[in-house]
Amino acid sequence: MNDLTPRRGPIGAALPLVDGPDKVSGAAKYTADFLPPGTLVGRILRSPHGHARILAVDTAAARALPGVKAVVTGADCDKTFGVLPIARSEHPLARERVRYRGEPVAAVAAVDEATAARALELIRLEVEELPAYYTAAAARAPDAVALHEHRPGNVERDVLFELGSTAEGFAKADLVREAVYNCAEVCQNQMETHAALAEWDPLRGRMTVHASTQVPYYVHLMLARVLDIDMSRIRVVKPFVGGGFGARTETLAVELIAALLARKAGGKVRIVLTREETFLTHRGRPETDIRLKIGLTKQGRITAVECECTQRGGAHSGYGVVTILYAGSMLYAIYDLRAVRYVGTRVLTNTPPCGAFRGHGTVDVRFAFESLLDRMASELGLDPFALRRANLLTAPTFTDNDLMVNSYGLPECLDWVERESGWRARKGKLPKGKGLGMACSHYISGASKPVNWTGEPHATVKLKLDFDGSIVVLTGAADIGQGSSTVMLQAAAEVLGLDLGRFRVVSGDSDVVPKDNGSYSSRVTFLVGNATIDAARKLRHMLCEAAARLLEARIEDVEIEGEIFRAGHQDKGMPFAAVLTEALKDTGTITVTGTYSTIPESHGGKKYRGAAIGGTMGYSYSAQVVEVTVDEDTGRITVDKVWVAHDCGKALNRLSVEGQVQGSVWMGMGQAMSEEAAYHDGLMVMTNMLDYRVPTIQDSPPIEVGIVESNDPHGPFGAKEAGEGSLAAFLPALTAAVADATGLRIDDLPATPDRVYALLDKRRRQRGGKAAR
Amino acid sequence: MPRLLTLTLNGRARSDAVADNLLLLDYLREKLGLTGTKTGCDGGECGACTVLIDDRPVLSCLTLAASCEGRRIDTVEALSADGKLNAVQRGFHEKLGAQCGYCTPGLVMASEGLLRRDPDPDEAAIREALASNICRCTGYVKIIEAVRHAARLRAEAAAP
Amino acid sequence: MEALPEFALARPRTIAELAAARAAHPDAGLLGGGTDLMVNIRRGIVAPKVLIETKGVAALRTIAAAESGFEIGASATLVEIAEHAELRRHFPGVAEAAQSIAGPTQRIMGTLGGNLCLDTRCIYYNQSQWWRAANDHCLKTTGTMCHVAPKSRGVCFATYSGDLAPALMALGAKVELLGPAGQRRLDLAALYIGESRHDGKGKGDGKNFLGLLPGEIVLRVRVEDRGGWRSGYDKMRIRRSIEYPVAGVAVALKREGDALAGLGIAVTGTNPRPVLLEGTEALLGRAPDAAGFAKLDDLVRDQIMAMKTTFTQGFYRRRVAGVLARRLVERLWNI
Repeated sequence: MNDLTPRRGPIGAALPLVDGPDKVSGAAKYTADFLPPGTLVGRILRSPHGHARILAVDTAAARALPGVKAVVTGADCDKTFGVLPIARSEHPLARERVRYRGEPVAAVAAVDEATAARALELIRLEVEELPAYYTAAAARAPDAVALHEHRPGNVERDVLFELGSTAEGFAKADLVREAVYNCAEVCQNQMETHAALAEWDPLRGRMTVHASTQVPYYVHLMLARVLDIDMSRIRVVKPFVGGGFGARTETLAVELIAALLARKAGGKVRIVLTREETFLTHRGRPETDIRLKIGLTKQGRITAVECECTQRGGAHSGYGVVTILYAGSMLYAIYDLRAVRYVGTRVLTNTPPCGAFRGHGTVDVRFAFESLLDRMASELGLDPFALRRANLLTAPTFTDNDLMVNSYGLPECLDWVERESGWRARKGKLPKGKGLGMACSHYISGASKPVNWTGEPHATVKLKLDFDGSIVVLTGAADIGQGSSTVMLQAAAEVLGLDLGRFRVVSGDSDVVPKDNGSYSSRVTFLVGNATIDAARKLRHMLCEAAARLLEARIEDVEIEGEIFRAGHQDKGMPFAAVLTEALKDTGTITVTGTYSTIPESHGGKKYRGAAIGGTMGYSYSAQVVEVTVDEDTGRITVDKVWVAHDCGKALNRLSVEGQVQGSVWMGMGQAMSEEAAYHDGLMVMTNMLDYRVPTIQDSPPIEVGIVESNDPHGPFGAKEAGEGSLAAFLPALTAAVADATGLRIDDLPATPDRVYALLDKRRRQRGGKAAR
Repeated sequence: MPRLLTLTLNGRARSDAVADNLLLLDYLREKLGLTGTKTGCDGGECGACTVLIDDRPVLSCLTLAASCEGRRIDTVEALSADGKLNAVQRGFHEKLGAQCGYCTPGLVMASEGLLRRDPDPDEAAIREALASNICRCTGYVKIIEAVRHAARLRAEAAAP
Repeated sequence: MEALPEFALARPRTIAELAAARAAHPDAGLLGGGTDLMVNIRRGIVAPKVLIETKGVAALRTIAAAESGFEIGASATLVEIAEHAELRRHFPGVAEAAQSIAGPTQRIMGTLGGNLCLDTRCIYYNQSQWWRAANDHCLKTTGTMCHVAPKSRGVCFATYSGDLAPALMALGAKVELLGPAGQRRLDLAALYIGESRHDGKGKGDGKNFLGLLPGEIVLRVRVEDRGGWRSGYDKMRIRRSIEYPVAGVAVALKREGDALAGLGIAVTGTNPRPVLLEGTEALLGRAPDAAGFAKLDDLVRDQIMAMKTTFTQGFYRRRVAGVLARRLVERLWNI
């Protein structure tokens, strides 16, 4: 696919976002900004109970309240929803049981906020309490009541694979070490709270929903399912979306509840969740416990890996199966591993359901893996860079679990951060309290097999060319701030060689744009980008055909430059306007369809049950160096600077790549240092932005980005993903830097000052010194 | 009981009947349809609702509309009222200070407030002035560049 | 759109109007910058029927040299206090404390009076109505139990988190109050009664933490320039902005040659009141040495009681208070 070598076109430029002016001027409309006349206010009643059998939901008083137009409960919808067809356990409104504190139980639509709030107070929920389990261990106790009858033992999914012989691998090792790691649950906490506007047209029996989603297609599917109406009667609009980071990959109850209310009220209902409700809706990264064992030779070669991973998944399946599988399979495709044993357990607990969070499945295991490598490197007296270099892959290759690696820029990433951070000159020579640490990570550029796959192409894009000379890119890809619309526009303009100003992107309206599988797993640039290239080539061919007719030349001789179509350099050429007229002569408006499908080799091997997920067309790679200052008296870690190199194959938009990589690193910093979703008896405590501590600008270091271009043979212009792969490496690079500064190994995250202080204090006591009182 | 509120909004005097318990944020968004100002949290924790009152950044989600009697309020919509992005908006656009854009109006207004007071802020002053605003996309690196760029654009525009 | 409870807003312009409004509505909420009260109203924690806005009272917005010190009006904003050149020169600890509060926008909004009377905080209290109901409420609202200390026998442990109070207390500031019975002046430290004693001897706790008489309001604070005193403020937070203190420490000290001649230390973010450490005179008469710091550690350990009102562990908050106190004394000693 990348025989297309970008020339003078917009590919590779540092282009501001095409929708940037809307965002900076306040003109951009997000779901909550739509308020058509007559829209009712929707509010949701949430369970205060962790686990209980529902005896009654009495809504009579609420329904009788003047101004209340509709009340819905679990009785109004017996359909389940969920992202994975094999694991749809959730109802839009709980039926029979509530399984976490915050689960939607009923909802009202009323003429104003005050009436809606009053109506919620009038609803009586009667329950019989059941034993509730707020930790993975409690839920797995032998006598625990099953949250879901079809999941005895509260295990959503267990995974076990062993590829190669770990027994032999450990026997060959000169050093074997085992350690236990814990990463707290974290939330995406995108800036826009979840919102939905549902408009029921009672005259036609049609539903229109505006939703703050990453995957309008999934919302469409789930609306049809829970409303029990034909998909053709539904329109899903995705306006501007205020971030997602995975929280909005799944259809959320809010969209479905708004639709149920709108239909029942026979009108329009808008629900805008509070920040607290957005936290309770959750779908974040689960609390993860990892026991990891690695064998190394003296030279640093990895001989065997054994990894046990337990995730506290929350009350419903959600993405859980995928998350626990990724955590194992993505041990691969970064280093050359020959013996791996993985045991994964996804546990159902009475806490809000976890989901897919940026770096899905890979982050916590990568933290553990790189941390243990760093510890063992220092035991062996090896430089951490040398240790990584001893275990590199050689692309192209297939891993032992059959993951296809075609481009591999990790060596160059390592070189860049080592050089730019001054590692060799500075490591070990910094003043007291300062330290340097490094680590690596990787990520997929879209799952090569989507969930809900019906066999059609993995991406479809349409280009429309009309009399006005404008070219409209019609795509279902959801721009959620990552800049996908900008990249599609650049790709189309690059192939066509026409002025960027002719191009517009229309996305996010199911009535207009082709279906897309959505913005998750960093699939859009790679898959939709390739489909855009395909469409643009077809359109280019049609234009060149028209030009060839006008120029009386062979089509293969036609070139486009500066909007002039020429047959050879001597030709004085035809302007675009003339070619356009010729091209439209027979058919009028031209619409072309471009598609892209992943190749079967990228799908992962079916023979390794549980190990094959994680297949993608291209892996991104990242290496990072983090510099810290540690105040041992207070336990405070200050990140002074980060150097990160990211192999994105080819930077289609340098500005966007830098922004995505900086954002990833920084989000990793939040998880590593201050963010945590903690519970009090199953009640999420940090359900606000004061206690859920997203780093402020005063906590955020300079992040220098090096772009490594490994030119993936399948990527659009050689590109791979740029928005996720650099997150995970921050966590272990930080703790390695703290170890360098203090000798202290932090195995539990986040590394808040009180935790670091406690570890330092413990060490002081163990060393026999006097602990602080 | 509603009261008559008279203020100067985005350069124009106006009067509206408002209830005492109406937040400035809801007055702007829901009564006047000025949806550029965003709601990001349940009160005072994210800065997405930042507007200027008499040139100083204020959280409109914790301010009562009725408290704004006689004051001069500027929202993000005011900055490009003449059909052009102003310097701060250009800075955020051209340097990718906005990704998803949801925190952007608040950060733009906090930055505008800074530059009206201090036209040539150093990095520390920028960090200090924007520390009430959370952005979840950028890691703030490009936001700092955006404000520096905006200061340069402003200086160029002011130069003879 | 937020469904706020209904309330009437009074906007007095003079102290007399303010006093009259207060007298007419003794249960009214006093609205300064709104950064504390409005949040609590939005969470359904409090629902006063009347709000009295204090910022419009011009006479309370002044920061002025008075007698041999300064008077700061209750409606002076935090940014005005932080940036006041004279105040910064004479009482840097006060300016540093003001500068450290929340974030810049909150400091533009917030007032001295609001910060002094900042409601005490607790993870079981600063939550939505739904959340608190799901947790059976607590002593500070309508509940019967303190979730921080279930055996507390009616004592609430919510934490006082204002930054200005300790800075001013360490300097021996007085507070001027106005109530139905007229004006009175007392040591600022005496305004805070949240001792949370189990033995019932203390007057107040985390719920009843201000020693204001019914209908009484804070008018201003007065801090005397006693000559030769140095002051500073430092705090620990997990983040460096938009956060209440994990622990905050104010120190005022006087150095005479190689000896400490005066020392005031106050701590916030730990107890239900800002704590002016008792017994600091034990450090006087010599340079702050190891023995002095050990004594200081003892004072902190004995008087600072950080319960589990935040997610940051109590033992840490107490210890880091000690670290900050020691560092501040060293810094000010060596100026």
